Amino acid sequence: MIRLQRSMIEGLTGPAPSVQAVCDALQNAIELEHATIPVYLYALYSLDETKNAEIADIISSVAVEEMLHMTLSSNVLNALGGSPVIDQPDFIPTYPGPLPGGVQSDLTVNLAPFSMTQLQTFLQIEEPEDPLNFKALAVTDTITIGEFYDAISRAIGLLGDGAFVDPPRNQVGPDLMWNSIVVTDVATAQQAITTIVDQGEGTKTSPDAGVGGGYAHYYRYMQIQKGHLLVPVQGGTTPEEQYAYTGAPVPFDASGVYAVPTNPGNPPGYAAGSAQAFANDNFNYTYTSLLKALHALFNGDVSQDQFNRAIGLMMSLKGQAKAMMSGIPNPAVLAGPSFQYQPINPLIG
Amino acid sequence: MSYLNALRLHFAGQFQSNVSTVNNDPGHFDNASFKARYQHMEGNHMIPPNGWFNPQGDAAFRLLGCTVNSAWMPSGQVTGSDPVLGYIVADSDGSVPAKLVDLDPEQQLVSQIWGLKVRIADADGNTLMQGDFEPAAFMDIWDRATGSGSGDIGAGAAYQSVLCNLQWGDVSASPFLTALQQAAETGVLSIKFNVDGLNMDFTSPNFMCGRIAGTIGPATISEPRHLVIGRQFMASAAQGGNFFTPVGGINFCAAVVDSEAGCIYLDLGNALSTTAPGAGLNNLGDLTLSVSGDATPLGTIPATGTGGYAGDGWYEQTAGVVALPLTVAQLQAVAAAPLVLAGNSGITISEWSNGAFVRADAFVHRLSPGDSIEIPVYAMQWGQPLAGASLSFVLDSNQLQTNTDSFPYVSASPPVATPPTALTFDATAAPTDDCGMALLALSTSDPGTPRWFNNGTDYGIDGQVYGIRPSFTDAAMNAGPVNQWNFISFLLWSGYTPANPVTWTDVQPIFQQYANLYPVMIRFLNMADYESVKAHAGLLSLAFGLDVADPNSMPVTRDLSPAKRAAILAWLQNPLPGAVAPPARVAMAEAPESLATIAPAGAAAPPRGGKAAAAARRLILQAR
Repeated sequence: MIRLQRSMIEGLTGPAPSVQAVCDALQNAIELEHATIPVYLYALYSLDETKNAEIADIISSVAVEEMLHMTLSSNVLNALGGSPVIDQPDFIPTYPGPLPGGVQSDLTVNLAPFSMTQLQTFLQIEEPEDPLNFKALAVTDTITIGEFYDAISRAIGLLGDGAFVDPPRNQVGPDLMWNSIVVTDVATAQQAITTIVDQGEGTKTSPDAGVGGGYAHYYRYMQIQKGHLLVPVQGGTTPEEQYAYTGAPVPFDASGVYAVPTNPGNPPGYAAGSAQAFANDNFNYTYTSLLKALHALFNGDVSQDQFNRAIGLMMSLKGQAKAMMSGIPNPAVLAGPSFQYQPINPLIG
Repeated sequence: MSYLNALRLHFAGQFQSNVSTVNNDPGHFDNASFKARYQHMEGNHMIPPNGWFNPQGDAAFRLLGCTVNSAWMPSGQVTGSDPVLGYIVADSDGSVPAKLVDLDPEQQLVSQIWGLKVRIADADGNTLMQGDFEPAAFMDIWDRATGSGSGDIGAGAAYQSVLCNLQWGDVSASPFLTALQQAAETGVLSIKFNVDGLNMDFTSPNFMCGRIAGTIGPATISEPRHLVIGRQFMASAAQGGNFFTPVGGINFCAAVVDSEAGCIYLDLGNALSTTAPGAGLNNLGDLTLSVSGDATPLGTIPATGTGGYAGDGWYEQTAGVVALPLTVAQLQAVAAAPLVLAGNSGITISEWSNGAFVRADAFVHRLSPGDSIEIPVYAMQWGQPLAGASLSFVLDSNQLQTNTDSFPYVSASPPVATPPTALTFDATAAPTDDCGMALLALSTSDPGTPRWFNNGTDYGIDGQVYGIRPSFTDAAMNAGPVNQWNFISFLLWSGYTPANPVTWTDVQPIFQQYANLYPVMIRFLNMADYESVKAHAGLLSLAFGLDVADPNSMPVTRDLSPAKRAAILAWLQNPLPGAVAPPARVAMAEAPESLATIAPAGAAAPPRGGKAAAAARRLILQAR
């Protein structure tokens, strides 16, 4: 379970949180949700899908929902009159490093090809809150992601419906994004946050994610660790007895992982003028273009055309990442994308 | 008014054109005989015949590291106090890269750029101007590099178009951009750039990249978008070479006389040869511009010394555009007399003796059966629109490309330009108007499926390609060498009526062909597999439903007929299964091959690339 700094909910815990405090927390939430995406995608695209299809499917399914969580957080922020800030260099965390708001000593996140070691990072990110642990740790200066969202949800309840902008503002709804929620009031805002938490951590009584189907992220990743799909089983009464990792195999073929570097953006990075730098620059320029496209989408350009542009950029990133990680065009040269902010191409003219 | 203007900027840098090459061989369009090895990187000398030099290409066209290197205003050259000299010319930072696309495997010599957004931005990437590059094909491809390196890497070509849907940032810090914005009240800008020095070594960091140098200036709505109304210098063809070698050593180029400014702008950007691919310009001697027959030149472009064109950086600074001052007397002298540009002995190019020229503006067209279009064709003389001229048109397939069943091609390619009756057009157009424009009125009928394989029984290349060449009706007006590239290319799609409802049986051959030709697609889905296509129906509906001008549009190749697109979109809404009868020849295709049968002893293809290989397949060469 990842621990966040208590300062992440500063201003939310009192009896009268300000709208600005909630907006600040939601901006942090957007950054936190985004920060997991490069990590998951790096592992996903490092897989040879002909050898690790099941694992790729699982990681892909989680990454897509992290994008939904970014959208839901943005919808809530917009509904409160705030403006998501996405097109900024510091929007992207540094890898290796903590997740935004994370405790440095708690978890260092790497951009790394898939491995059972990297899977532990995924599990740690997605591990649900343990109520017993929660009581023990409540006096410390750290919080869980679940607590972070609970604090936002509670503060929104205190703000009341009057804090919401009327008419609804800059909402990316389900017409554009599957399972998205148009946020207009406390109820819909809390519904959006519940979706984020349930998809990430599951409910208190079941590994099911609720909205969107499937299991919560932690249990999806545990299927890889256990080597089998999680399936319902007959006869039990407690949640632990109603499911078991006894479904179809989820094999890991270590030969089906491309030998790409870990944390390629770490200084000194790829050598200037190298084929790796060329591919990485193209990727990062496209990635930055995606951040710009999302920034526009979440700040008023809520149109099918703009959504399509963002989807197209995501597909382009997928194609580029798969090529560079699998040795296209030169099988002797593999490169992983460093996911860095780069508004000009190439990085060094 | 065009980029050849007192108000203009020059930029240079690199481009990437990451085209895919499996479709270089028309035989690869035969689903029934396609082999897995056709998707693999070529071996030495194309043995065995395979996916050519970049089978995994994704068609991306990018502008890389392009900087504004000089700018000019009516008052003179822009100095360092104008921040425009620190700006960059970049592509979109809000959508996917543009795409470079052939018209057809049998007309690969008019590759178009689709979905390109051109930006002028500061050094941090902040946009000051952006516009949509109207899709355009290259013109005047030639063997530019005279030193080592032949084939595509030694080629040069030029693109001219307009930027539209202009959006401007705060340009007040730059007097140049402020003036350009004012001049762009027409809503368009003119852009022209030259490309050369393509790198085809897949082990190089610059693989599929080359040099680009270009010019941006104002445009006038009433003028053609891909053609300069100006003085046209015409070259005769020398024997040999891959694409075109001018007898006088200087390639086709254009100039504009500006009476108000008292000068002539001469665009030598795609006209001067280089010592090697993408390298400096050959020293052809000081180039003098003269009125034909006059001993005293109008002006001289020095080869060496300060500002010498053969010196380092000249090309990147100027994109090959030269402004020579003209006195009032010289302006009068050039008004109706042919111009000659000459250097060392044998180095020369001139206008036709009558200063006339005719060309279509947009010279690449995709059509469906039953379409009727009018294509603007422009006539000019002495750099001015020529009104009242009669223009004629003839079918001319000489530059289209076919091949016999010979190494490295996997089979004989289907015939081009047949049936000729599928295009109907007036052999002579109504006289040109005051803008020098006449309209080629053309209508189409269904060409059938003349390019299916196995005697027309196996799914093949859609439709047919044709060429139509314009000229002056009055033969005496055609007073000089003809530019072989100066014709209009057509892809006329086959009629297509799917079953109702559309099932996998109908769309499978289409998807199968894309899966075969574009290995890049397997990064996303298996287009040959019903379940995979069905699982991605949502994303495919999005991509197939986009306007073809959108850089995300599928298919990237822009070779899907509207009728087939409609069938695919209908099927994606309701992806019904359907039986797929294996083509009769699949068993043969999967049979083991011996190298001896697919690459005869002594067979070896020169490492020349797709364009040069296509150029070598032109009918005009086969007729010789």
